[in-house]
Amino acid sequence: MLCVLALAFPLVAGVIALAMPWRAWIGWVSALSAAGVLGVGIALCVEASSGTATTALHGGLRADSLSSFMVVVIGCVSLLATLQTPRVMGREIAERATTPRHASLYVLLMQAFITCMLAAVLAANLGVLWVAVEATTIATTFLVSHNRTKKAFEASWKYVVLCSVGIALAFFGTVLMYFAALHSGVGAPHSASLNWTALMAMAPHLNHGVMRLALALLVLGYGTKVGLAPTHSWLADAHSQAPAPVSALMSGVLLTVAFYALLRCKAIADAALGPAFPRALFLVVGLLSLLVAAALLIAQRDLKRMLAYSSVEHMGLLALGAAAGSSLAISAVLLHMLGHGLTKSTLFISSGEIAHAEGTTEMAKVTALLARRPVLGGIFGCGLVALLGLPPFSLFISEFAMARAEVDAGLWWVVALSLLCLSVIFVSITNHARHLLLGAASSRPMVLNARSVAVPLVSALVVCAFIGVVSWPLLTLLHAAAHVVA
Amino acid sequence: MNGSFYVGALELAAGAVLVCAVITLWRRQIRTIVTMLRLQGVALAVVAGVLAWHEHDLGLAFTALLVLAVKGGLVPWLLRRVVRHDPRSRETAPLMNVPSSLVAAAILIVVSYIVTSKLTDLAPSGATRLVPIGVATVLVGYFMLVTRRRAVSQIVGLLLVDNGIALVTFLLTSGVPLIVELGSTLDVLLVVVVLQVLVVNANAQHGSFESDEMRELRD
Amino acid sequence: MNINSPLAYAIVASLLQVVVIALGGPLLLGLMAKVRARAEERVGAPIHQPLRDLRKLFTKESLRARHSSAVLAIAPLVILGSTTLAVVISPLVTTHPLLRSSSDLFVIVYLLLTGSIAVALAGLDAGTAFGGMGSSRAITIGALAEPALLVAVIALSIQAHTSNLPAIVAATIAHPVWAATPLRLLALAALVIVVIAETGRLPVDNPHSHLELTMIHEAMILEYAGSDLALVTLGAAMRLGVLCALLVNLFVPWGVATGSSLLGLLVAVLFLALKTSVLAVAVALIEVHSAKLRLFRVPELLAGGFVLAVLAVVTGLVTR
Repeated sequence: MLCVLALAFPLVAGVIALAMPWRAWIGWVSALSAAGVLGVGIALCVEASSGTATTALHGGLRADSLSSFMVVVIGCVSLLATLQTPRVMGREIAERATTPRHASLYVLLMQAFITCMLAAVLAANLGVLWVAVEATTIATTFLVSHNRTKKAFEASWKYVVLCSVGIALAFFGTVLMYFAALHSGVGAPHSASLNWTALMAMAPHLNHGVMRLALALLVLGYGTKVGLAPTHSWLADAHSQAPAPVSALMSGVLLTVAFYALLRCKAIADAALGPAFPRALFLVVGLLSLLVAAALLIAQRDLKRMLAYSSVEHMGLLALGAAAGSSLAISAVLLHMLGHGLTKSTLFISSGEIAHAEGTTEMAKVTALLARRPVLGGIFGCGLVALLGLPPFSLFISEFAMARAEVDAGLWWVVALSLLCLSVIFVSITNHARHLLLGAASSRPMVLNARSVAVPLVSALVVCAFIGVVSWPLLTLLHAAAHVVA
Repeated sequence: MNGSFYVGALELAAGAVLVCAVITLWRRQIRTIVTMLRLQGVALAVVAGVLAWHEHDLGLAFTALLVLAVKGGLVPWLLRRVVRHDPRSRETAPLMNVPSSLVAAAILIVVSYIVTSKLTDLAPSGATRLVPIGVATVLVGYFMLVTRRRAVSQIVGLLLVDNGIALVTFLLTSGVPLIVELGSTLDVLLVVVVLQVLVVNANAQHGSFESDEMRELRD
Repeated sequence: MNINSPLAYAIVASLLQVVVIALGGPLLLGLMAKVRARAEERVGAPIHQPLRDLRKLFTKESLRARHSSAVLAIAPLVILGSTTLAVVISPLVTTHPLLRSSSDLFVIVYLLLTGSIAVALAGLDAGTAFGGMGSSRAITIGALAEPALLVAVIALSIQAHTSNLPAIVAATIAHPVWAATPLRLLALAALVIVVIAETGRLPVDNPHSHLELTMIHEAMILEYAGSDLALVTLGAAMRLGVLCALLVNLFVPWGVATGSSLLGLLVAVLFLALKTSVLAVAVALIEVHSAKLRLFRVPELLAGGFVLAVLAVVTGLVTR
């Protein structure tokens, strides 16, 4: 029941956006639905902490601790993003940058996007998971091209073509897993063979050669959606050309949902093949992503592209954590997902405000933000501090725990390499931040009037700091969720 | 006799899928390419239909009809609409000229045969022996996606990849559970709709929409 | 009436093949011209016109260019001789021709290749610009068509487990169900393209044009006159005949004599005439409906034929 409720909230908001012409309160309705999702997520976590998973729709939806945690993450980030909708859309309509019809379409697509992500994390069946992830690609394409500039169309074209190719590969991998399950020698009725629980049960009997090929295809396929190298080239374009709340949602949570799919598949592969081969695969893509991100961040000129490449870096870190595979590692990965989601969405939303206020996203042309726009600059600066993994924010704890788990697994050389990349990234981003934020103001400082920007973003940063310092209420939840796939 | 008819029909239909893919790489007229895609959709539906008839599977039969309607009918029709908006309907200058592309396709076909022999060893049967044909179609589709400049040619490459994977799905596992198949077909349709709308919108607002001219977003 | 000695039977059969192809090749040319004329709503020349042209040419004096060498003189004999040898050992009316064990696909392909190389060299020998240009074009097309030809016949030999052409024909007669397999259809498509290229028909080459831009075969034999020209033309006609006959016999072999009776041989001749006429009409209709390809588009066509042949081989390996 709760699972269905989680899906119902954004669906209803979407239907309202479809049925009625644009009004400002429609934006508030979408924010309300996101709050509802967050509430349901917390309730699901409480229920899952009792040990059993909640199911709905005849076992079609399943919420164990991991899924419930993901619902909470989706709820938090979508709340942040949808709170911006009334203001951003109102401003765009006032400036004639968009029409009321396109604003309604924007809200509808956002709700569809959130529904698909929720369906992906609540799906009991790997096939339904795949369908939901593919559906997110379709839902977000027109969100990326919302600004209707030539660059936006180019970005959405690259996005949809590259992600569709990746998703097709992931489908191939899923089919191969199904094929291995059908011929595993364990008698199971046809329709049950793609359910995650059924696959986990028969994992030791799955053919090794087929599973290796399946995992490689899944990593390559879902990895495209996660933004891992070598299929990361769509990320910078799509996240930089989309409107700021959309980038926040995509970078904050869509990448994480795709990574969740990878975690589920890795659990089956670990049970079938042993930890060696999956670890090797994840290490390769994780290190490659870190290297690519480090290389491309040094000479970055565009503000949003810098944030996008930082997402690639963090997804690489997630892959390295998943490669370690222990319970501590996965707990750290999940905490990192939450922290990254909050931080990145804060950064993207404030970067959207900066872009609108300054009229450009080129970092060379923006300077002295702390002096000229103190609130905005302050939020952006704190966000960058959080992103770089400095205490007291939660990313520090999660990165530290991941490094600890990797050393425990004997991967000290991986830790050394990733620390090297992280140092390079630290220096690059700090350099860009120095240019953006510091300097003397040549004009009077302009105070940001809208509370709808400052209040949610500051709250998000405070929550991030809070969970970085205090272990309750997340510790038991993280352990339970990690136990599902570790 | 039934057995050999079943295997023969499967061979013919699967072979037709790959031949359509190769002809797509060969011809320059986009109209011919779209016709080849339609034939490929029909051949794919025939593969699913023959398998459904052989295994008395109603779900698979329904899937065959769905594939016929969507991949053999709707998707080529949508592609026609994209081409109609675009006056230039010939692939004028691919990144790799046609004879070299064809030789590369021949190499890819041989490679796919070598690589997938391990897969078919798990469950050798009349249907799984033909899996290399599906994998070859996927590789040819990728090749087309990478070496063509026109937006429509890239969509066609994507569709070839999808069709190849669908063929492998039918041959290996006689289709996945119905809901997944429905979702997958719907997704293909929606992707083509999305791409069509993108191309039309971009053309309307900015003139041409050539993948080769998309060079503004760069590091 | 049976001929008991296999050697005598083989000699009779091969002689019959040579006569049939020597007469039938020019008749096929005439048939194609007639079909083309009818399609263009003309009456056209009678079908045996090429034979009359050959007879006329044999009575004329052959002139040779002053600065040409023995190559110009020998080339007509080479093309005629190699084509005749290919006819002798091919399975055209029987599956037991002379020298059956040597009747391998590589041997026949390279015998035909010898003929085309001889004509190309002759085109260069006279030292004119047209000749050299025609030779280079012909060799280019030949270089692209040979792999397709070889791979397509290799595909057939994978199915029949032998590369001996008479054995392939006999095996196909014994297994009629092979005729509709995808391997056969793909190999047929590839071989049709190759035959059109090798015999110089549209859309690869226009046999009636004498314009510099469009001549290929005609350019090479421009310097020939009289009986030399007759020999070259007869050689080219026999080449067309043997390629068409091989094509029909590899794919639709019913009618080829497998036993050892004379009556079977005569029936086989009739069937061969019928099948090659059908093929010739089909090729002529393709000619009527297509325009000549620009020279740098011809590699596209031949590469397509090559890929179809590779597909045939892979299909054969997959469905073995």
